[in-house]
Amino acid sequence: MGLVEDVRDRYIEKLSPGTFRSRVFWKTVETLARSPLNRPQWKADRVSLSYFIRATRDAYLRRAPVVWSNLLVPSELILGSGCIPFYPEMAAAVVASAGLAPRFIDRAGEEGFSSDACSYHRCVLGCALDGFLPEPDLLLTVNYPCDSAPLSFSFASDLYGAPHRVLDVPLHEDRESLGVLAEQMEEAAAFMLSLSGLTAEEGGDKLREALGFSNLALRHMRRVEELRKRDDCTLDGKDAMGGISVLAGSMGSREGAEYYRLLADELEERGCAGGGAIRLMWMHLKPWYAQGIFDALERHGARLVCEEYTHATWEELNAAEPYASLAQKVAGHFLVGPAERRARHLARLAQDYRVDGAIHYNHWGCRQSCGGAMLVKEALQGIGVPVLTIDGDCVDEREYQEGQLSTRLEAFLESLKA
Amino acid sequence: MGDVKSVAWFCAYTPLEILDAAGLAPVRRFGDPASLEAADAVLHQAICPYVRACLAAAMDGSAPTPGDNHHHAVFVNSCDGMRRLHDAWQARFPKDFVFLMDLPRNEDSAGERLLAGEFVRLAEALEAFTGSAIGAHALLEAARGREERRLAYLESSRGLSGAGRLRLAMAFQSSPATEKPVPGTGVARAGGVPVLLTGNLLNPEGLVSVLEEAGAAVVRVDLCNGDRAFSSPILATGDGLEEVCLSLARGYLDRRPCARMTDARRRLDLLVEEVRETGARGIIYAGLKFCDSYLYDFPRVQRRLREEGVPLLRLESDYADGHVGQLLTRVEAFLEMI
Repeated sequence: MGLVEDVRDRYIEKLSPGTFRSRVFWKTVETLARSPLNRPQWKADRVSLSYFIRATRDAYLRRAPVVWSNLLVPSELILGSGCIPFYPEMAAAVVASAGLAPRFIDRAGEEGFSSDACSYHRCVLGCALDGFLPEPDLLLTVNYPCDSAPLSFSFASDLYGAPHRVLDVPLHEDRESLGVLAEQMEEAAAFMLSLSGLTAEEGGDKLREALGFSNLALRHMRRVEELRKRDDCTLDGKDAMGGISVLAGSMGSREGAEYYRLLADELEERGCAGGGAIRLMWMHLKPWYAQGIFDALERHGARLVCEEYTHATWEELNAAEPYASLAQKVAGHFLVGPAERRARHLARLAQDYRVDGAIHYNHWGCRQSCGGAMLVKEALQGIGVPVLTIDGDCVDEREYQEGQLSTRLEAFLESLKA
Repeated sequence: MGDVKSVAWFCAYTPLEILDAAGLAPVRRFGDPASLEAADAVLHQAICPYVRACLAAAMDGSAPTPGDNHHHAVFVNSCDGMRRLHDAWQARFPKDFVFLMDLPRNEDSAGERLLAGEFVRLAEALEAFTGSAIGAHALLEAARGREERRLAYLESSRGLSGAGRLRLAMAFQSSPATEKPVPGTGVARAGGVPVLLTGNLLNPEGLVSVLEEAGAAVVRVDLCNGDRAFSSPILATGDGLEEVCLSLARGYLDRRPCARMTDARRRLDLLVEEVRETGARGIIYAGLKFCDSYLYDFPRVQRRLREEGVPLLRLESDYADGHVGQLLTRVEAFLEMI
């Protein structure tokens, strides 16, 4: 038995909902995170780890109102209202990394959630049903990137007896439609202020501060992106993909800005590993519990030079018009609207990062991603980028066929070398 | 149909009044449930089978309407599946009129304004397509026509079996407003166990037919291709186009909602109310596979109906429903229990 399995069986599987609500537990986690035993690959990772441990601890210990959000809800809005953003989809990735997802997915199944639904959300709902997640004071979703979040949060809203608000992001970015979204955001912010007890003035200051940090993070993030375009940049996409939690949950915090600053600085310091690798782009997300597929890439001299979700997709925010600015940030995202937008974003990435090929990981149950996979493939092939689409599951390890996957992957890599 | 252009539609939130007012012939497409695999090259297999069946039928090369090989279509951004159907359709038929209309999830005033704005946007796009203006008067007339049609459906569907009602509702939806479908066969079974059928969209030749075979009397077909679309009037009022669109938006959002809308409580209340009203002794919850709106909805419906003491049976459909024979025993056991 490996160390990971040993730790899982001895400790993690014995965790109870009460454990997460104990100060001693969080003290231990924080101590371990700071100890020399924890050697993150990048200095920036230490900052993000510390940020998320603190935010999650505060959410469980109810040190401020907790707002559950999905991927595209701007964390600036929540942090700027004095609340704690909690992203259950990211929590599902963490649960999957710890090898615990099947237990919670099965729990959701017992409640009647079909195995045809997204396993991120089934895992979240299983955790919620068993009392493992911090209780929300508000559930705030936007209607993108997928249908699952507004729907599963709606169930959770009933479960916890907490209100659920959906921000309707319009298809069109005209002034009027964006105005309606900005109004919805302002109303949500006012509600969050009523939860946190901040005055409108205090909230205004805090939101402006959050937008300032977000803009700073964006500047450093763009530095990271430029550095990653170099030959064989030392930051591989399989690791960069973990940055999705930073991108979703810490924009608007000091630590979010610090994360990207440190990452950019370290990328500059480390320099490049040299050229010659097969440059690949990864689309959708990775199986959080498995490493084998990435080992196969490495064996074949391939590197993930970019990935779909962890790039800057917005312009600097305007603190003078915070809600209009955040509305534009969300509505301008490539996952909003027709798949053509997504295809354009991916084609641009493929060209900017000079990829030799691209891999689309079809996460089971993800209608928005799998549904657009063929169109994305056609668009990339149109600019000369070969695409491999593989079916799998990001969260449920029981749906992962490593042998089959590796065979297809290796055949694809061979074809790129030829 | 002469020069009247046929326009395909797919989602029950499509504002047919606007298409009528534009002088078009809106026709709901249901695809071919038996050949949906033909869409596999374009859409993943884990996408709604209705969506795949519609795409497969459009891709088969035959003219969608006799003498007219255009694939004009209006889509509603109601779910991931519909949005992806639009994407695939637009890529396949770039020269035709293909429009994606947004649909908010909120039924409040913000949702109403967003939807009204979308109705105006659709009207403007149709004006550019047909070359004729859509006036408020024409829209009010079209709304009156649609209301008459709704009442005609309610009248004609009286006494029909579940499958018979579903066939008739689909005939009303898939024929132009100028044609009035006649009820086919399918009289309600006398002495059957009254049940309410709810879910997303079903094939009338599939599992619906098994329910009556097993001894059920389907008193209401709460499906988007069944009674739901005819459940309440959409009253248009106002002077200018924008005002009329706002009243239409209110009407569509007030209707019995799809499970994708945010206010789930309203829908559950309506469902329970309907059970009491119709005297149904249980609910059959049947849905197409891979429809997230209903996959996430079921556990909540189950909780609520347990509280209300209403028996519930869940069935799943792949649209073609080749397996329906196997469901007979389950349905019979459920009917016996209630």
